[in-house]
Amino acid sequence: MTKARVSIRRFTLPYTFLTALAITAAFPLLWIVISSLKSAPELAHDPLSFWPSAPTLEHYRHVLFDLGALGNLGNSLLISLSTTALTIAASTTAAYGIVRFYPKVGQRLTQLLISTYMFPPILLAVPYTVIMISLGLANTYVGLVLAYLSFSIPYAIWMLTAFYQTVPIEIEEAAYVDGAGQFRTFLSIASPIVLPGIVATAIYTFINSFNEFLYALLFINSSDRMPISVALYSLSGSEVLDWGAMMAASVVVVLPSVVFFLAIQRHIAAGLSEGSVK
Amino acid sequence: MKVRMQRSARIWFVLPAMLIVLALLVYPVLSSIYFSFTNRNLLRTAYEFVSFQNFSFVLSNPEFWNAFTNSIKWTVGSVLGQLLIGFFAALALEKVPRLSGLYRTLLIIPWAFPAIVIGFSWRWILNDVYGFLPNLLTQLGFSESNVSFLSSPDVVFWIVIGINIWFGAPLFMVNILAALKTVPRDQQEAALVDGANMAQRFWFITLPHIKKVIGLLLILRTIWVFNNFELLFLITGGGPAGLTTTLPIYAYRTGWGLHQLGMASAVTVLLLVFLLAVAAVAFRVINRWERIQAR
Amino acid sequence: MFNQRSLNGSAGRRKWRYAIAAGAVTAALALTSCSAGGAPEESDTGELSGDLVFWSSFTQGPRAEYMEKMADKFTAEHPKVNISIETFSWGEFETKWTTGLASGQVPDISTALPNQVVEMINVDALEPVDDIIDDIGRDRFSAAALKEGQKDGKSYSVPVYSHAQVMWYRKDLLAAKGLDVPTTWDEFKDAAIALNDPPTTYGASVPFGTNDLMGTRYLNFYVQSAGGSLIDDKGRADLTSKAAIDGINYWVDLYKATSPEGSINYNVLDQATLFYQGKTAFDFNSGFHISGVASASPDLLDDIAAAPLPRLKSGDPVYGGETSNIPLVVWGNSDNKRAAKVFVESLYNDADYIEFIHSVPGGMLPALSDIADDPAYQDNDILKQFADSVSVIEDVIPLGSAIGMESGPTVQSGIITSQAVIEHMFQDIILNGTPVKDAAKSAQDKLNQLFVASGVSFK
Repeated sequence: MTKARVSIRRFTLPYTFLTALAITAAFPLLWIVISSLKSAPELAHDPLSFWPSAPTLEHYRHVLFDLGALGNLGNSLLISLSTTALTIAASTTAAYGIVRFYPKVGQRLTQLLISTYMFPPILLAVPYTVIMISLGLANTYVGLVLAYLSFSIPYAIWMLTAFYQTVPIEIEEAAYVDGAGQFRTFLSIASPIVLPGIVATAIYTFINSFNEFLYALLFINSSDRMPISVALYSLSGSEVLDWGAMMAASVVVVLPSVVFFLAIQRHIAAGLSEGSVK
Repeated sequence: MKVRMQRSARIWFVLPAMLIVLALLVYPVLSSIYFSFTNRNLLRTAYEFVSFQNFSFVLSNPEFWNAFTNSIKWTVGSVLGQLLIGFFAALALEKVPRLSGLYRTLLIIPWAFPAIVIGFSWRWILNDVYGFLPNLLTQLGFSESNVSFLSSPDVVFWIVIGINIWFGAPLFMVNILAALKTVPRDQQEAALVDGANMAQRFWFITLPHIKKVIGLLLILRTIWVFNNFELLFLITGGGPAGLTTTLPIYAYRTGWGLHQLGMASAVTVLLLVFLLAVAAVAFRVINRWERIQAR
Repeated sequence: MFNQRSLNGSAGRRKWRYAIAAGAVTAALALTSCSAGGAPEESDTGELSGDLVFWSSFTQGPRAEYMEKMADKFTAEHPKVNISIETFSWGEFETKWTTGLASGQVPDISTALPNQVVEMINVDALEPVDDIIDDIGRDRFSAAALKEGQKDGKSYSVPVYSHAQVMWYRKDLLAAKGLDVPTTWDEFKDAAIALNDPPTTYGASVPFGTNDLMGTRYLNFYVQSAGGSLIDDKGRADLTSKAAIDGINYWVDLYKATSPEGSINYNVLDQATLFYQGKTAFDFNSGFHISGVASASPDLLDDIAAAPLPRLKSGDPVYGGETSNIPLVVWGNSDNKRAAKVFVESLYNDADYIEFIHSVPGGMLPALSDIADDPAYQDNDILKQFADSVSVIEDVIPLGSAIGMESGPTVQSGIITSQAVIEHMFQDIILNGTPVKDAAKSAQDKLNQLFVASGVSFK
């Protein structure tokens, strides 16, 4: 009894804190979801009405089918999943290589790479477009994914080096004694230990490429090949403003990232370090 | 023979990533620096060298310095807030026995918002006539009439920093959480056996394991927030009366909006120099940590 | 150190190297989608052929669908021409054409805003279109609209629709207080104050947000009513004329009297939403307001109407506060100009053109003067319901121009509306208490400095 009460008290503070944060974090999404289900007239009146009196999917139908956002959504998923997969493939190996083989040079190199973050995208846009055209990659997903890689890889290498550094060298040495090769050691010994870090990086990459707008707009010329983020911007810039459609489109843009996160978030919690580090 | 093959294999770990990044970035970055010394207009191909004219124009402009101060306040406030909230959220998530998956999911949501959705959903929620929050506060009796969160000079800066913390804290939380998972449990247990208290265990065992991740995140987010244009532009447009005009918005007004590529590049190069200086200091700190750790 | 150890397992490494290479190639193949086909040869006569790219900013459903239909129709007549229509909002179009020009990627045909046309003409990006205009009938267009796209006697843009800013008001609210529709600025202010009943209704919202041009637009109304202009005849910004100073004072006073406090940072979206929701008694906008109110508050539709912008003194004539003539342009870089021009012309066939205009009834008004009287055009429910309001707009369209373009196209016009200098000035006066004359003077200097920086030389 007493023990239970102590443990309740022990957890009151963290639970209160987390609940307050969760409400703040989730409220805007909740509010746009609720708003997107209201009819246009209901949306325009009583700002305090909470539940839609007659929920309607009309705004979603309009956005997904009339405005063709469904196709844009597919493009976005293709682009951002490819970017995420390629980023993780290239950066885990690079980060591991830097930590294990080139610690001195690698340090300098990653610090140099990060200067890429110091340039505002709009300024890099023109030379980037020139490069894409001269490579014949304008209006292709390859070009767009390459551009995203050039931004996500420096970040990913950065964060992942920090994670791979925490892998105790003794475990890897033990693996070599067991006859594992360099790549197998990397893949099946070191990487599982830093899996939470890899997942965190993957989430970052996915969200960034899913939400990216400027380069998608500039490199892609066919509307039907555009990702959803660009379609969202066009909604807000027209002469007649349709809050309902904007709400629905926002939900359509935000949800895939949340789903992606749901799909892989348990790997953040399940660090394998306890199992491996004896 | 064997040694050489191993060397080349090692190179292959690093090379693909480096090639992609360098190939795509060297030209754009160098061309920006080059154009900052010209009067290049985005729409025209002909241009002239103007040496340091762009720089002296910008540096002698009081608006630049106002924007610079705003940028510093905006960056420091946002990044520290993001770190604190993200850090304590991660610690709390580590501590609670149940529902941590649910909380993780809810807490990450803001991160999935693109800037444009942040802009118009918060404008929708905070509008002083039809917004949910001001009306709610009035209804509950907290305010006599609806508060204008986005235009009242006393609160607007705190509100935009709050929105930025709301948006950016999940990144810190997720990465710190991941870093916490790399802290070997056996060390924790050994310290517990040795009679270390919670603060001691945190300071001597947990912190050394996560501080590099935190350090890198701080550098990255500082750069990102300092350079970010969209968030503030879409929420306040730099107003009211320039209170939220940061350097990227200034750069947009003096250069990009007028298609003055040369001028816009000059502001950017100044940003770059400043950020490089800040980063250099940060790198020294991080490198020192590593040396201490290696010892 | 670990990195100095000699390691085993080179076979594994080699395999991995192949795997990476293969993976990269597969990914590349999976992602590659073919880019647009090659350029056709151009000839003066014979069958039209080749690809046409049309960047359209007609984003809303019916307008976008109409353009697709016209492209299909054109392709049916000219089977060797392939038209692809890409739809971008105005903001996206601005980013797209500016960087596109710098990197050599522009379409054959596009829609454009008058400010953009000026810049396009200045960098020789456009093809003259006098032949199209003459074929359609030069005298069917308004001279003012044509002038916005002319330089050195040549036309570079074909007006496709027009709209103009007018005063929108709530009939029911005016009637409830027994007030007449205001015709002068003084009457307007009195009526707005009389109807001001926050938080239920505000008399009028006065928006000064720096991410939009609303402050400039409102000041321009006032200056226009006094017969002045924000750009003087030498091409300089003029914010210190009597009309401008009076105008600044007028809007600052009105902001304090009848506007929600937050409107100091409103953009066009916030501002329009208030009227859509029935929260303001007056608003300034074009006929696009009809569609906005129709979808947000259908029950208010019977209670709204438009009147000409308030005049300075009673008895002053109606004036054009701000007219937007939206044109089509043919790009100089197009390698298929002949087909492009034939396609543009095909959009102006009477029956098709009327269908296009009907896609936003009352919002888009015909650029061809005779269409307005065409019974087929008038046969539309919204146009019938709002006949009076629409005719108010039709009457002022030929009287006005884009902000700062009263004496022809100028680069200044784009700067004055995009750089938020005037909006910043209003905010500075209201929040920091800066004296109106000082604030106006420094905003004027700032604008002139920006003009010079953009290569303008004053006459």
